[in-house]
Amino acid sequence: MNDTDPTPALPDLVFHVLLALGPGPSHGYAIGKDVEEQSGGRLDPTTGALYQVLRRLTEEGLVTPVDGPGDVDSRRKYFVLTKAGRRAAAQEAERLAALVRAARQRKLYPQKA
Amino acid sequence: MWLYRWLLRLSPGSLRRDYGAAMEEMFARRISEARDAGMWRRSVVWSRELAGLLALALSERYGAAARLRRRYHQQLISGPKAGAMDIAAQEIRHAARRLVRTPVFTLAAALTLGLAIAANVAIFAVVYRVVINPLPYPQASRLILLDYGVPARNMASGMTSMAWQLYFQLADRARTLEEVAVYNTGAGTLTGRGTPERLQIARATPSLLSVLRVSPALGRWFIETEGVTGGAPVAVLSHGLWSRKFGGDRAVVGRTLTLDGVPTEIVGVMPAEFSFPDSRVELWTAAQSTRANASFLFTLTGVARLRDGVTIDSARTEITALIADLSQRVRNQTGIVSAAAPLQDALVGRVATALWILLGSVGLVLLVACANVANLFLVRSETRQREVAVRRALGASQRGVARFFFTESALVALLGGAIGLGLAWVAVQLLLQFGPPTLPRLNEIRIDGVAMTFTIALTLGATVIFGTIPLLRLAPVGVSLHDNTRGQASSRGSHRARQVLMGAQVALALVLLLASGLMVRSFQKLRAIDLGFEPSAALTFSVGLPEAKYATRQAAVAVHRDILDRLSAIAGVNDVSTTTCLPLAGPCFGNTLVVDGEPFDPRKPNPWAWWRAVSADYTAVVGMRLLRGRHLDRSDVDRGEAVVVVNKAFADGYFPGESPIDRRVRSSRPPNVNLPAVPWLRIVGVVSNTPTFALGEPTPSPQLFMPMSIAGGPDIPREALTGPDVTGMIYVLRSSIPPSDLANAVRNAIDQVDPNLAIAQVRTLQDIVDRSSDQASFTMMLIAIAATVALLLGAIGIYGVVSYIVAQRTGEIGVRLAMGAEPRTVARMVLGQSAVVIVAGITVGLVAAFAGTQLIQSLLFGISPRDPAVFVATTVLLLGVAFVACWLPARRAARLSPLDALRAE
Repeated sequence: MNDTDPTPALPDLVFHVLLALGPGPSHGYAIGKDVEEQSGGRLDPTTGALYQVLRRLTEEGLVTPVDGPGDVDSRRKYFVLTKAGRRAAAQEAERLAALVRAARQRKLYPQKA
Repeated sequence: MWLYRWLLRLSPGSLRRDYGAAMEEMFARRISEARDAGMWRRSVVWSRELAGLLALALSERYGAAARLRRRYHQQLISGPKAGAMDIAAQEIRHAARRLVRTPVFTLAAALTLGLAIAANVAIFAVVYRVVINPLPYPQASRLILLDYGVPARNMASGMTSMAWQLYFQLADRARTLEEVAVYNTGAGTLTGRGTPERLQIARATPSLLSVLRVSPALGRWFIETEGVTGGAPVAVLSHGLWSRKFGGDRAVVGRTLTLDGVPTEIVGVMPAEFSFPDSRVELWTAAQSTRANASFLFTLTGVARLRDGVTIDSARTEITALIADLSQRVRNQTGIVSAAAPLQDALVGRVATALWILLGSVGLVLLVACANVANLFLVRSETRQREVAVRRALGASQRGVARFFFTESALVALLGGAIGLGLAWVAVQLLLQFGPPTLPRLNEIRIDGVAMTFTIALTLGATVIFGTIPLLRLAPVGVSLHDNTRGQASSRGSHRARQVLMGAQVALALVLLLASGLMVRSFQKLRAIDLGFEPSAALTFSVGLPEAKYATRQAAVAVHRDILDRLSAIAGVNDVSTTTCLPLAGPCFGNTLVVDGEPFDPRKPNPWAWWRAVSADYTAVVGMRLLRGRHLDRSDVDRGEAVVVVNKAFADGYFPGESPIDRRVRSSRPPNVNLPAVPWLRIVGVVSNTPTFALGEPTPSPQLFMPMSIAGGPDIPREALTGPDVTGMIYVLRSSIPPSDLANAVRNAIDQVDPNLAIAQVRTLQDIVDRSSDQASFTMMLIAIAATVALLLGAIGIYGVVSYIVAQRTGEIGVRLAMGAEPRTVARMVLGQSAVVIVAGITVGLVAAFAGTQLIQSLLFGISPRDPAVFVATTVLLLGVAFVACWLPARRAARLSPLDALRAE
């Protein structure tokens, strides 16, 4: 259990959700689609799983609900990244990049073309 | 959709408030997206989404503690804390991984549960759709069946017939009833469209659909004027007949069909789900009468809709008063009281008890299955005792450890629930295919939202039952680390838990075995009763004569005689005869009678009997035994002699202690100069009793057999009460070749007489006997399956527990053997310890069964619910199985080589 790790890795799904929100506000169904495409079909969260993540992220202050465009289903909820959310995504990307660098140094991963 | 919304309620309120609507919207989009991608994709999406929701609900609930802890940590550590956030989800993932790593354990547990859940869900679906779910009519609780009783004949209820006279009385004067309708059913011949066909027809008053509050799918129902004598002949088709005979042609309304030789206009088609009074009826025609010429004969069944706010009791009181009023004018209505009952009870009341008992039985099976799975988890948790102890020592809370185990239980239960739902669906499909056709509302059975909810509830319930048992066994901190250091995870407390489970399984299995044993014995008794006739090697079928063509009794009898002659000419046919009503066929024609020389005694109920019109030697051909006198012979029938044969119940009831031969009886009816006189009938023979309604009737009914040439016919008014109408007769054919090979020859023979005659209900006498017990055999079979499953699961449970104990004590046994203990002593020691538990279980089971088998009394025939033979045999069987289940591991213990045993340490 990672309770005491100061900068733990983000779970896969969480990072993908943050990625999906990178370009701007989006809603559950679209986020789900984006995650599925981004991950090449590897991740396909159910509605329940996705909203669990969105709720946690909201609680953690990484995303926040915003008003959507006026012309859509009023039940639909839009989310947007907060500053902390952008920072967390950047940190995770940095962590992954560092891992990739390390893998390259050890000849485990091809150099850039 | 509502199911999703409902399941959403399982998750905590805050989540639902914030995101519920948004989740519903997303779910709806996914479903509509999947709808275009086909059935399979849709069901995949459905089940994934539902599983996701369940996982969410579970992890949100059980993850609450984790979240609190996380907040606390957050104050200490700055920076993004996303990694800590999915403790619960992680727990689920980890548990899933652990389960996947032990596939045998996981599958064994999930399949055990799945089978038990499937049985419960399938039976529940039947109980719910048949017994609980209201009839498919608006405000169905206000529908009543007009049942009656005759207290003077010791009959509180069950007389579901009434006369036109009473119908008009109720329709005009009953204030408690919003609307009344009457109907009767019978067979009719449809000609002109391919082979002539015998159909089941209901004749109903135009008010029927306003009572039921349904409308035809196409066209209209009958109007008032069509329900009046002389009104235009009109018919409404069932959806099935419409599809079968008219190819679902919407232009069918207004066309004409020929029913019993009468051109009849089709005015409407009913919806597919409409089946009143039962699903055999394929055509409705208007029942016709007038107030002026209303009959006093009990030929109708009535249904009514209570006025809003009226109780059934006040309706009964009013109807009884109206009958009393009517009986001042119409004498034969005297002494009848209303026993009106809710229509649903009247329809399913008979099978409701059996279904509830079945549900109880499979519920017990689920308990046995839970005990088994709990056992599996107990073993699993103990092999983890050290891992748990390490976790505890490192600061995991008691709750954390509980969650560790409970997550596994919940996942296994979910898997079991999914397997169960799938199997239940299969079981219901099988039931729809092969279930007894006598089960009312069979076609309404399906796995619906309620059954799904029931599955979820069962799954959660099962999780709680077998999920908490291992938790109770969690050792307090520290104990496990220094205790059991030699790798023995077992402790005395867990032995006790395991033994309690084992004893409970024995007790539950015994109760089920007893119930099933009683059912089997009672079924055997039912099948062994003296039928009073010989069902083997006899083919029966009915032939109806269109009244338009055969308008007199004489014409009808001539045709029947012609058919009999041609049938007896078929090679291989030994005997042929015909009757208006076979054994087990129900009431047919019944009437009271007068015995010559017996003074009328108003205090005594009139003698009465079921009347059957027959051809020569009918009583001999169906195999009734001749007790006195002779059968009716050919010359009696040809010459129309006024002679009859009666059964033993008739002779014993009305001529106690004397010979009825040459005594005379006569049909009893109100005097009326316009009707032909009824002749005195001389009794010439007495035959054995045969069942009228069902096998194992408590009292046989009096029956009377008269030559068909003096019975009723189309040219004889029904009010004359001469005897049953001979236009529709049932033939019995005894042959030396298999009855099934005769069908073609029979059709040819009848074609030679008249190719427009329809043959229906072709079956053997044995079929009729089997059918009348198929509901009993169906219930018996299901309970026997439940008991067998419980016995098997129980045996596996005992075997598992004893094996486990032996394995745990291998070291100790090794020491004993090394010290010179006899292998036999070791085996006896192992057996002895289990025997105590098994005997305790049997004692509890016997006590429970002694109290509980009363519940199935109404399903039993000819046997006490505490039948000692069954109790003894069942107990011995269970002891035997339990002994084998203990003996196998005990033998293994005895055969241990001391060296190996000690090395196993």
